[in-house]
Amino acid sequence: MSHAPAFDVAKLAPVPPYGVLVAGLAILVVILMGASLAIGYAPLDLMQAVRDLLQGEKTLATLVLTELRLPRALLGCFVGLSLGISGAALQGLMRNPLAEPGIIGVSGAAAFGAVTVFYFGLAGALSLALPLGGIAGAAAATFLLYGLSGRGAGTMTLILAGVAINSFAGALTSLALNLSPNPYAVTEIVFWLLGSLADRSLPYVWLVLPLMIIGWGLLLISGPALDGLTLGEDTAKSLGFDLGRLRLQLIAGTALAVGSAVAVTGAIAFVGLVVPHLLRPLVAYRPGRLLLVSGLGGAALTLAADISVRLLPIRPELKLGVVTAIIGAPFLFGLIYRLREEEA
Amino acid sequence: MTIADRSLDRGTFASVCCRRLILTAVALLSAIGHLGATDPPGKPRRIVSLNMCVDELILRLAEPQNIASVTWLSRDPKNSNVAELVAGVPVNHGLAEEIIPLNPDLVIAGIYTARTAVAMLQRVGIPVLQVDIPKNLDDVRRQIREVAGLIGEREKGESVIAAMDRSLAALPRPSSGQRPRAIVLNPNGATVGKGTLVDEIMTRAGLTNVAADLGIDSYGQIPLEAVAANAIDILIVSASRDGPPALATEILRHPVLSALSDRTRVVVMPGRLWNCGGPAVVEAIERLMQAAGEVRAEAPPK
Repeated sequence: MSHAPAFDVAKLAPVPPYGVLVAGLAILVVILMGASLAIGYAPLDLMQAVRDLLQGEKTLATLVLTELRLPRALLGCFVGLSLGISGAALQGLMRNPLAEPGIIGVSGAAAFGAVTVFYFGLAGALSLALPLGGIAGAAAATFLLYGLSGRGAGTMTLILAGVAINSFAGALTSLALNLSPNPYAVTEIVFWLLGSLADRSLPYVWLVLPLMIIGWGLLLISGPALDGLTLGEDTAKSLGFDLGRLRLQLIAGTALAVGSAVAVTGAIAFVGLVVPHLLRPLVAYRPGRLLLVSGLGGAALTLAADISVRLLPIRPELKLGVVTAIIGAPFLFGLIYRLREEEA
Repeated sequence: MTIADRSLDRGTFASVCCRRLILTAVALLSAIGHLGATDPPGKPRRIVSLNMCVDELILRLAEPQNIASVTWLSRDPKNSNVAELVAGVPVNHGLAEEIIPLNPDLVIAGIYTARTAVAMLQRVGIPVLQVDIPKNLDDVRRQIREVAGLIGEREKGESVIAAMDRSLAALPRPSSGQRPRAIVLNPNGATVGKGTLVDEIMTRAGLTNVAADLGIDSYGQIPLEAVAANAIDILIVSASRDGPPALATEILRHPVLSALSDRTRVVVMPGRLWNCGGPAVVEAIERLMQAAGEVRAEAPPK
């Protein structure tokens, strides 16, 4: 697997038509959302609940469905979509397969921004402040990273910059939680570092969805330019792509998508690493096409991970990041191993 | 050796000796005091509490001049039923370093709190009494009696118990009709089940504790889904939902709870009324009985 020929063989392998791939992943996401609605802690007849809902009856079953399971399924889908697209976009921008919001510190910085806003009452005064805090953190980290490691920088520089940002943001998050006047706050760092969808509510979904949609849009329209960039910067420029605008677009899109996701669910790591890595061969290594495909794959992975924490007999339930890290860390090791060979 | 001798000794020592010698002396003296504990000892003059529930007991039972320190938590009237009695009493944060210089002749701690300080105090020979969390009203009475006896305030202890029992007896008996279904929801989705003082208070107020029915023993976590799906008549939340923001307390304001509000009555129960066993439990029972009465009045008779 670590030998170079495997890479070439994969490149030559037949690629499914793009439309079929997108449709297939979309169907998978819909199935997983249905499963997410059906699985939970209280016995619930899903069909009956849906019937009651359609007839406008307000029963306990419809309450559980609309107020608890629906926000969970929707957030799982949207947050996964954000992480998947952003991972693919950052990897295209930095031209490095290790660029992932969690690894390079974008999620960690977003968590710090959201924590500052949430625990000191700003979010209570203006609910939009919560995602804006996350977005500000994510944007600051992405700018800093890009400034530090630049385009096409070595893996070493990128990872070290990520380590620095992650540990700094983690320390500041911990500091902010320690300073909170609420005695429970200090124990909640686990949520911000590992992420969870438990007990989130619908107002949060409507709060972050518009911001995420803008973020997804900015990232998706960068597709052609990202494809051009694979030919090298000069070629991309000669093809008429404005690289300055492209960078700004990708940084803003990532900050909007990841920042608002982290602000409501904490930092869920590795989704943006595993998914693009798995799907890249299926789009013939075209970074533009990888964006949407990775988004759908990210949604599927996050939903599946969230279903598994509810099925596993561990209470209180595991944080989502525990599951995604157990799946994702081996991929990271594998990637580093392969890059080391390539750089050697 | 009398208490007066001990304080005199300490004064002399303190003026001439280094800190280490004082510690040794304190350890020796306390050890001697502890050996004689089976005989009726002299009244402790420097009582230290390391636990918020114990604070309330000794503030109610001991003479103020005999209390050397209580926890800082009891200064806050939101936490404590006896905050006004704390004025002028030094406070501690459960650290051995704060306690040892006070040269206490009795330290009372909870069995789950300030564990490091308790171990340290025992090592230097300071007598430490550790009290459990009362699991029912009988435990409450037993604990008041135990602490009162140890600090030489037996009569005061009996009068506190008698006053509490009089108020309990004065409560109306819960009507024999429908028992409203209730559940406690604390920050982080924590709830209280069987074998607890809270369970006895709920039962005494004529409620069914749904958490106990769901098989939760003592303290546990309950998913919001279970709260929503179990047809609760009364939801008992702690007052801390109005405090500064945290995810733990945000769960108490989840929209599903307000969506339940047309069928579920929310009772705000400040923790100070029933987290510790004391005379305040009477008010807790009263509040729950009132809510139970309102639920029965609204419900169509079955």
